[in-house]
Amino acid sequence: MSTNALSPLILGKPMNRVDGRLKITGAAKYAAEFSPTGVLSAFALTSSIANGRIAALDGAAAEAAPGVRAVLTHRNAPKLKQPKPNPMAGGGILNELRLPLSDDRISYGGQYVALVVAETLEQARHAASLIKIRYEQSAPVLTGKDAPESGDKPKKNNGEPAQIAKGDVEKTLADQSLIIIEQTYETPTETHNPMEPSATVAEWTANDQLTLHDATQYVKGVQDVLAQTFGLKLENVRVLSLFVGGAFGCKGAVWPHQILAAMAAKVTGAPVKFALSRQDMFSGTGHRTPTRQTIALAATAQGELRAIRHRTETLTSQVGDFVESCGARSSGAMYACPAITVEETVFKVNVATPTFMRAPGECPGTYALECAMDELAVELKMDPVALRVANHTAQHPVKEKPWSTNHLLEAYRVGVEKFGWERRTPEPLSMQKDGMLIGWGMATATYPGYKMAAEARIRLAADGTAVVQCAAHDIGTGAYTVLTQISAEAIGLPVEKVKFELGSSDLPYGPVAGGSNTTATVGSAIYDAAEALLLALAKLASADAASPLHGLSPKKISLAAPGRLSAQEDAGKSDSFAEILKRAGQDFLEAKGEFKPPLLFQPKVAFQSFGAQFCEVRIDPALPRVQVTRFVSVMDCGRVMNAKTARSQILGGVVMGIGMALEEETIYDRATGLPVTRNLADYHVPVNADIPDLEVHFVGEPDFAFNPMGARGMGEIGNTGTAAAIANAVFHATGKRVRDLPITLDKLL
Amino acid sequence: MNPFTYSRAADAPQAVADLVAKPHAKLLGGGTNLIDLMKMGVETPAQIIDITRLPLAQVGELPEGKGVRIGALARNSDVAAHALISARYPVLAEAFLAGASPQLRNMATVGGNLLQRTRCPYFYDPAFPACNKRNPGSGCGALTGFNRSHAILGQSEQCIATHPSDMCVALAALEAVVRVQGPKGEREIAFADFYRLPGATPERETNLAPDELITAVDLPANRWAARSHYLKVRDRASYAFALVSVAAALELEGGKIKTARIALGGVAHMPWRAAEAEQHLIGKPPDEATFLAAATAALAGAKGYEHNTFKIELARRTIVRALTTLAKL
Repeated sequence: MSTNALSPLILGKPMNRVDGRLKITGAAKYAAEFSPTGVLSAFALTSSIANGRIAALDGAAAEAAPGVRAVLTHRNAPKLKQPKPNPMAGGGILNELRLPLSDDRISYGGQYVALVVAETLEQARHAASLIKIRYEQSAPVLTGKDAPESGDKPKKNNGEPAQIAKGDVEKTLADQSLIIIEQTYETPTETHNPMEPSATVAEWTANDQLTLHDATQYVKGVQDVLAQTFGLKLENVRVLSLFVGGAFGCKGAVWPHQILAAMAAKVTGAPVKFALSRQDMFSGTGHRTPTRQTIALAATAQGELRAIRHRTETLTSQVGDFVESCGARSSGAMYACPAITVEETVFKVNVATPTFMRAPGECPGTYALECAMDELAVELKMDPVALRVANHTAQHPVKEKPWSTNHLLEAYRVGVEKFGWERRTPEPLSMQKDGMLIGWGMATATYPGYKMAAEARIRLAADGTAVVQCAAHDIGTGAYTVLTQISAEAIGLPVEKVKFELGSSDLPYGPVAGGSNTTATVGSAIYDAAEALLLALAKLASADAASPLHGLSPKKISLAAPGRLSAQEDAGKSDSFAEILKRAGQDFLEAKGEFKPPLLFQPKVAFQSFGAQFCEVRIDPALPRVQVTRFVSVMDCGRVMNAKTARSQILGGVVMGIGMALEEETIYDRATGLPVTRNLADYHVPVNADIPDLEVHFVGEPDFAFNPMGARGMGEIGNTGTAAAIANAVFHATGKRVRDLPITLDKLL
Repeated sequence: MNPFTYSRAADAPQAVADLVAKPHAKLLGGGTNLIDLMKMGVETPAQIIDITRLPLAQVGELPEGKGVRIGALARNSDVAAHALISARYPVLAEAFLAGASPQLRNMATVGGNLLQRTRCPYFYDPAFPACNKRNPGSGCGALTGFNRSHAILGQSEQCIATHPSDMCVALAALEAVVRVQGPKGEREIAFADFYRLPGATPERETNLAPDELITAVDLPANRWAARSHYLKVRDRASYAFALVSVAAALELEGGKIKTARIALGGVAHMPWRAAEAEQHLIGKPPDEATFLAAATAALAGAKGYEHNTFKIELARRTIVRALTTLAKL
């Protein structure tokens, strides 16, 4: 049975967001906007030291303050069960392993040391200021240099190798006949800063029944971890997250605040709202670790790579285990090269636990590698695009499997044309205009095609409308819209007849909204469910004497027009979904589907998206703030599901990359270990005036080996290669190679 | 946020009387700085006196051509758009528009802009134990901490915070006069006397008495303000505090500089008038060598710290650029 008959009508169209009206009218309710009757507000007191223990704590004044219902500290917090979620088997994610308020230890600045619950937020905030704490403090360990003995070299990260040793890199790097470059690149700590800070509203509807309204990328994951932590049956924990105001990875794991909200609601016997402050977001929900990456490249005079050595040092916390794989996800996946070494070393420091942030690994990894490639091109006096074309690979360089589809060469070609790259003069400082330095730079973008597990349920009503469900998430990506389009396409209905429901743990299993996997994974489950639905409909019609399709084999019946099945061999014989159900006396027909990649997903091909990023910067030589004036992204992500939301995904990724290249940096105070820039005045993200018109183009073909839609994810690739393209453009403009981000004007003075 | 009581003043005398009666009161104008600081627990007034209904929002000419008076409650956005300001004092209109965001400018008042607190992460975040401004005697966290945004001129070992206002840098160059009302009546404070350097008392930022209300800012008439310019250098294209800013004015006569005004923002505890640099320009031709010498004179006493030494060179360049722009007008 073919289910692609209607595809040109629905998939790929620049359809407006189905939830757009709800969002712009304020009708879309976000987690913190839920206020069950009697809800109390929580405010956290956070540690003002980063390493030590609480020696004395006096909460009496806070407890006596007006409106206060509870002051939770390590001394009175209920003991909880240590959860052991298994994300590889569809369980939740825990990056910070220590449970909140579980002992007197302080291992990072901004750690929750008390939670005040009061009738109003203002009362809670005031009471928190009345808590007296004395710490026993040790000097905070903030860098790898301060904790060399903690350096760990993890073998694997999320099931993928973290260290790679292919070919004889050391011997090649010693070969005097080759061109060798080696440089070190640094990226700072970055904090996600979604528009909506994390928030949880917890309510115990019975002694063993917990409901959370939560801003999360993973309702099933929160359900799993909270059920384990509080010793509840999985189905007794409900997690609802219908709308999320941005996440970028910081809402994928379970963090202490969700556990604290549930704990506070349990202790007070009332619903509790814990909405994080912007300050809390700098230590309570993860960040991107700083990276120090040293890359050595060996190439022939013609620019063919002979060796890549990519050594990375990153940090993780004393109470977590998150690792950012920079080398494996860039140098380990991009270019043809006979010898590749990737080394990752992770140091434990007194900083909050890092987590996934848009393209974890790929983003800082491509920054370093693609800057190194630019330096190599300069050394070789070779055009940066030509160097990359010379090293294009027809297969995954480490897995040594052919790509499912790969149109990177086309992306370079289209980018060169759209950007006007041919007009570039290669020498630095050579493209000045009106007293301004102009620089053009480029870089390759890449992100793997990931898919996880999902289930979907379709309920087709006799009126010809359908509701499709999966516990997926729309974190601002457009998933509501794209999954509606895929459902309409797969079932064979006009989009306005289909409603997609997501964001609730009551729904069939959906994966974390991470790894750019939602479209591929959930779409595959929808297709499976739609196939089952259409087969069931065909069977009903075939068995119904009143149907024009009576007696035909269901396999000979297929979708011919929206809402209609017809005989494959005689298009004149057809029947509508609505008529089939009506005559069968059914108000609705339900079907389920699922998608489960094998536990160790080992296909014969490698799924990887690629793209090309081209950037122009303009720099005033006397007052050298970098202004990005043009940016062209050309992406090969398989088939585009929605031209509008796909473009928006790439735009968002590029904007975030501009922030990374030029502005974003979380600074930690040496003396206290506290984040100094923990507000949006001191932590800069791009403003509108920083962003030029961004151009996005898509190339390639549907990747039907990957899924029935032919789509690979787009959430993260826009944030790869971007910072490198900008840094390379800055070099071209100024002749100065800044190797530590962000490139603020003081580095160019 | 600390508990506080709220009252609304009907007129200026009542506002002053309320200030006299409640020594720990704060006046509420646009609230764009005060409310933030109250939420963070940095400002903990026992009483808020709302003065937003006072009739102090007018912008108009002073009699006998003496200049322009701006009411203390005039909104930043209204003053920026006022024809009298953009025609006669372009540096001030430009300074307003370089500050904050449209939403903040719509709320913020001129009096409140004068009184915004100096910026420093160690002051704004009470989790940091050391801040002489917030907690006199506790030390300065910025001195050996993260001090990229901090002062290079006029600072003390007690405090290296910077004044964040753009408007005030222009007012310093324009030699504005702050009109205030207190229990003993009205008085005028020359702009040069309004702010204080941190010295040993960084908690005191102005010479306004605790029982005084700012009613207006007067801009004296002059020949040179029509050729004036505000140049702000910051880390992103908009909505950021100045790393360095320059308010400048030039009067040229016979190919020579007759009058010059230069004030710097982002470099000191107060808007920084560069009088020596101005003197250096008088009688000289308006060329780059002159401007560079003046800029060097302006930064003669500058001292940087671990993360902000670049500001010295940046300030020099910003002065030269602002003056060069003016010379070409």
